[in-house]
Amino acid sequence: MKSEQFIVIGLVVAILIGIVAVFAASGDPDGLESTALVVQEQKALFGDTPEEAEIHEEEEGRFAYESPFPDYSMGEDGGKMGELAVIVLGTIIALILALAIGKCAKAKKS
Amino acid sequence: MHIPDAFMPIWQGGIYWIIALIFIILALKWARNELTEDKIPMVAVLSAGIFAIQAFNLPVGFGTSGHLVGGALVAILLGSPYAAVFVLTLVLIIQGIIFGDGGLTTMGANILTMGVIGGYIGYYSYQGLYRATKKVYLSAAIAAWLACFIAALACAVMMWLAGTFPLVPGLVAMGTYHALIGIVEGAITAGAIYLLLQARPEFSETVTGVSAA
Repeated sequence: MKSEQFIVIGLVVAILIGIVAVFAASGDPDGLESTALVVQEQKALFGDTPEEAEIHEEEEGRFAYESPFPDYSMGEDGGKMGELAVIVLGTIIALILALAIGKCAKAKKS
Repeated sequence: MHIPDAFMPIWQGGIYWIIALIFIILALKWARNELTEDKIPMVAVLSAGIFAIQAFNLPVGFGTSGHLVGGALVAILLGSPYAAVFVLTLVLIIQGIIFGDGGLTTMGANILTMGVIGGYIGYYSYQGLYRATKKVYLSAAIAAWLACFIAALACAVMMWLAGTFPLVPGLVAMGTYHALIGIVEGAITAGAIYLLLQARPEFSETVTGVSAA
């Protein structure tokens, strides 16, 4: 497979994975968040995560930053379309950034 | 396993950033020496694919979900743990800055667990397992499971040092959940290596070490 063809197919597959993720990804907390809930005694190690469980976060002496698209969304108004847009955007940025840094940093010999 | 800013004092994040920067510099040196023109498309596709698939949380039971991290996948395919540091750093920068997934002060820690530890454990355990068994996909799956599991334990220790988790309960819960998430990591890593080698058979030399002298 030619490089250009591989990049295009790879990008399309990545975007498709992202699109499926928007609709099918599990909303359960990830391993780190689940552990936080367990040690904060909001969840049993082998139990389900209760609806009302919420991670208590330390704020004092911690850095806080508001990203443009928190939680891979455009907020409440953006809905699923907003989530689709940002996941596609992120995937394309990842590809372009890797190509650009790769070209700059690449080995001289071939 | 993306540590948010709120989970770690800023000064500790700074220490992990300094250590991570050393590995980032080494990863850029790797790129200068090893990242030839023909490998750049693979690095780009892996970056895009890992970014997308990290948004795809799969349920693993016990009210918990997990996704592929991908450090082992990159390191095995490109034949170096530094390739994993390169790709994971790039993905974590995009996730942290644009999507608030993983903190900024904790990004160094996240690069260390997922990129450095994930890449090193993934690469060297794959090399050992492959030499012993000659089975590419089995070795890759086990190596990826180990990469996920060990990175999670390292993350639990960081969380203990940060005062966020107590040591033993943190290790037990992180270990339990990531032993399960590691199955996702192992299965997708083996599947992705299979598909990517179909598209780019020239990388099988790196994976099977035929001419990787």
